[in-house]
Amino acid sequence: MGLHIIVCIKAVTLEPPRGQLIRSVDSLELNPFDWPALEVALRIKEERGGTVTALTMGSEDSVFVLYEAMAMGVDRGVLVCDRSLAGSDTLATSTALAAAIKKLSPFDLVLFGTRTADSDTGQVGPQTAVALDLPMVTGAHSIQWTDSGIHVERYADGFREEFKLSLSVALTIHPRSIQPRGLRLSGIELAFEEGEVEKWDLAELDLSPDRVGWAGSATRVLSWKRVTRERKCEFISGTANEQVQELVSRLKKSGFIG
Amino acid sequence: MNTLLSDKHRTVRRSVRNFCERELRPIAKEIDQEARFPWEIVEKMGNLGFFGVQVPKDLDGAGMDSVGYAVVIEEISRVCASLGLCISVHNSVVIHPLLAFGSEEQKQRWVPPLARGEKIGAFCLTEPNAGSDAAAIEATAVRDGDHYVVNANKVFVTNGGIADVCLFFVRTDVKAGRKGISVIVAERGTPGFVVGDLEDLCGMRANPVSSIRLYDCRLPAENLLGKQGMGLRIGLSGLDAGRIGIAAQAVGIAQAALEEGVRYARQRHQFGVPIGKHQAVQMMIADMATQVDAARLMVYRAALLRDQGKPFSQAAAMAKLYASETSSKVADLAVQIHGGYGYSKSYPIERYYRDARVTRIYEGTSEIHRLVIAREVLGQ
Repeated sequence: MGLHIIVCIKAVTLEPPRGQLIRSVDSLELNPFDWPALEVALRIKEERGGTVTALTMGSEDSVFVLYEAMAMGVDRGVLVCDRSLAGSDTLATSTALAAAIKKLSPFDLVLFGTRTADSDTGQVGPQTAVALDLPMVTGAHSIQWTDSGIHVERYADGFREEFKLSLSVALTIHPRSIQPRGLRLSGIELAFEEGEVEKWDLAELDLSPDRVGWAGSATRVLSWKRVTRERKCEFISGTANEQVQELVSRLKKSGFIG
Repeated sequence: MNTLLSDKHRTVRRSVRNFCERELRPIAKEIDQEARFPWEIVEKMGNLGFFGVQVPKDLDGAGMDSVGYAVVIEEISRVCASLGLCISVHNSVVIHPLLAFGSEEQKQRWVPPLARGEKIGAFCLTEPNAGSDAAAIEATAVRDGDHYVVNANKVFVTNGGIADVCLFFVRTDVKAGRKGISVIVAERGTPGFVVGDLEDLCGMRANPVSSIRLYDCRLPAENLLGKQGMGLRIGLSGLDAGRIGIAAQAVGIAQAALEEGVRYARQRHQFGVPIGKHQAVQMMIADMATQVDAARLMVYRAALLRDQGKPFSQAAAMAKLYASETSSKVADLAVQIHGGYGYSKSYPIERYYRDARVTRIYEGTSEIHRLVIAREVLGQ
């Protein structure tokens, strides 16, 4: 049996929220941080064979991200969708995703983007890995295959880290580690002509409603308002040399350089 | 506005828009100013299927429908109308006639490389003395054994400077009037095939529009498309499909102009408030948004009729007329909202203003479209 790679993806809102966040089909797009994860999965499939499953949780309106993934070359799309999931925080989302991933077993790799463009927590990947008791590397830059598993590289704070892992493994993929392919029109045509999305509700995941949605969430967002940063403009006077020295000393003082 | 579209068409819009914002937006101003065709992006567009949107998959196309095609052209034109024009002409009035009237051999020979974007197509109809009056063409093709000897002087050829596969409208029977016109395919590189100077145009400057001349050019008889004398039928069929493309292009330009107008109305302050708070500007924005919406709906209706196999000629003519007039009006209003800055090359609106203008002229002027529409309405 070939490799089975699961990529968790999300439909995110395009527009910054004004007041309450309203998700509608025209204001959503596939999280830009998920494209590299999909690309990594598809390259592995092209090199080593196997199948790629895209998994998302959201409303019916989110289903298009699975078709976009299939247009890219993903084999199977699964939408986890249930009214009880509304209001899920990252923990509740991870609980639901973990249940869906278990149902998709066996698998070798579970990939995530490093974060989402709308809520930006970066928590769902690691929390899902914990829920599944999987080893995880975040912000992976490259993956090499070895006899016993994979060798993963990541760059953090000016250091290069290397990890040796046995499958099954969860990874978040660094957004600049790979250039995702564009969607070919013929791929879109094929995905919508022949692709089928499976829809799973809580009953199919054997999850009780109190573990997800508002009930299963450990956090509450109390309020939400736009913050605009004041910009200051100041002219530095003096000769060119004096201006440069003054600018450098201010940048040092502010901690930007030095 | 998008809710009329299916999930598939919305996906097409999103993916083409993302591509254009990422790849085309950064160079759109520069290629206009330099009047340069962006070869660096053509290969990428070819890989994504933009050069063979409605070509069947077995001929290396994307196999999309007309609504999908309209969305592709609209989105490319929203960022760079010159490239929207290149792709519209290539798909609508070059590939479509080859598919509709070409023999199996002709399709296999010419369509796949065109659909992959490896070769570029051109439609060579207009001459110094023949434009709206297409039957007045003077180009000749004289049969000589298994060849035609062609002499032609075609002007304002979209893609002319880069085209590899050109559909030439020629007179094969000088006495037969409208029925003496035929279409023959001439490939760049054939002896006697000469590309003239590029036109220094007001708008659509990144498209290498040029004249193409054929001097005693010997073209194999198997390059004749359809039958001898079918030229005008082939041309009109191509132009029917082409109207949807040009109308979609005009909607894309109008949408871009609307977005720029709105952006500026929010950002520019006069009398202590953003100018969008002034009713005079609000009136303009309301008219612009309404007309863009109406034009878009007309284009989608024409495309939908075509996809349903229903007569779409009249709907396409109306869409082309209305969308092209709308793009000029909306771009003009957006310039007005910008005030003096709208007349400067510092802002993109001046490019949209220049690009919009020609949509009322090419692939049938507004006046010819009014004639076509009126005749149909009057049953003449």
